[in-house]
Amino acid sequence: MKLGLLLTLVTSPLAAQSVRSRLEARVPTGAVSTVDSLVQVAAREGLPTEPLVQKALEGGAKHVSAARIGAAAQEMLDQLRDARALLVRAGDAPPATAAEVTTIYAALKRGLPAPVVERIVAAMPQEPRGSALHSVADLAAHRFDPDSSASLIIDAAHQGLRGERLLDVSTAVVHELQRGHSRAEALAVVRRELPNVPAPPKPARASVAGARRPEAASPPPP
Amino acid sequence: MNPIDPRIHRALDGELAREDLPRELRLVVERLEAAAALLAAAPAVAGLEPRVMAALRRPAPSRMRRLVRWFSIPHAVTLRSLALAAAVALLTLVPIDEGNGPVLGDHEGIAQFVGRFPDAQTVHVVGSFNDWRTGTIPLEDRDHDGVWRATVVLPTGTYEYMFVVDGERWVTDHLADRLVEDDFGRENSILIVRAARR
Repeated sequence: MKLGLLLTLVTSPLAAQSVRSRLEARVPTGAVSTVDSLVQVAAREGLPTEPLVQKALEGGAKHVSAARIGAAAQEMLDQLRDARALLVRAGDAPPATAAEVTTIYAALKRGLPAPVVERIVAAMPQEPRGSALHSVADLAAHRFDPDSSASLIIDAAHQGLRGERLLDVSTAVVHELQRGHSRAEALAVVRRELPNVPAPPKPARASVAGARRPEAASPPPP
Repeated sequence: MNPIDPRIHRALDGELAREDLPRELRLVVERLEAAAALLAAAPAVAGLEPRVMAALRRPAPSRMRRLVRWFSIPHAVTLRSLALAAAVALLTLVPIDEGNGPVLGDHEGIAQFVGRFPDAQTVHVVGSFNDWRTGTIPLEDRDHDGVWRATVVLPTGTYEYMFVVDGERWVTDHLADRLVEDDFGRENSILIVRAARR
């Protein structure tokens, strides 16, 4: 605990410095100090900071006003707090990792009801839930009942599907819908097939050959 | 033309004993008898008609047999045909450089961006994978059909992005499976990059 506090005290000024330098010249001057202070608050609370920086950079790129960027960052900070609270309620031992808080924040942002998210978190302890939540959100976006969708994805996880393979479950359900099944039938068909859902094809060789690395490609925020 | 000694005819006809012949005539008679024996032992030569019919009934030789036969027979080779053969061999044996592309790591995948912007001069994709920097990932419309494309290597993960057309118009990728509000009054598309090595 003391070591953690010490590390925070030592690294926070450095992190703050790097955040400021990332924001300057890319975000309206009025928003830099607001976002910078929100980032420091998030860091003190053990919340992820990168999503706040990304939101400010996005606002700057889209020529959004400083006030609007500040408001969006403040709103995001509140939602990150909500996401962490949900994780704790669902049984995750604090402190929740930045990656998991970001995952929960993204699922809520995509419109999943908090009880559904909480149910998935509780059903999949000790493992990343990002793909499971995206899979349920994908089904919800196709007007499937979020609760029934969550049940299917939890079943798939219990039958051994993990990580990105859970995304294939929602893809399979949507395919059944496109084949003319009702939503309930589509869910039932895929449930019967579990855990055998088709995997997506590997990228074509020509695609890989023609791909290039963009400048400044950065991994997703934790 | 040398006339044949009548004693030889008589000896061959059995009218005269060989012992009564001089030595040189006896040798001639023996040679003629040996030749007659050889002719008697040889198979009968088939006529033209059966040979033609047999050739017609025989199945055509396979392509490989014909190829082997073609190679076994000498042919005249011109300089032009030699040059053509060399060109074909070069094209076949030397791999065309398609660009092997980047070597992908375990935690990298391929992202393909496609958008239809018929009147655009430039299209870029901007998102959380490039810190929302415009200008780093251009799309191309090589055949000028208005469909712009880019294929890039990205670290695995979830990203948000939009297209920027002609440097100022922000456009949501409505072909994307996932959309989310951007808090600034628009919608970002969500991209999930899966590992290419699975």
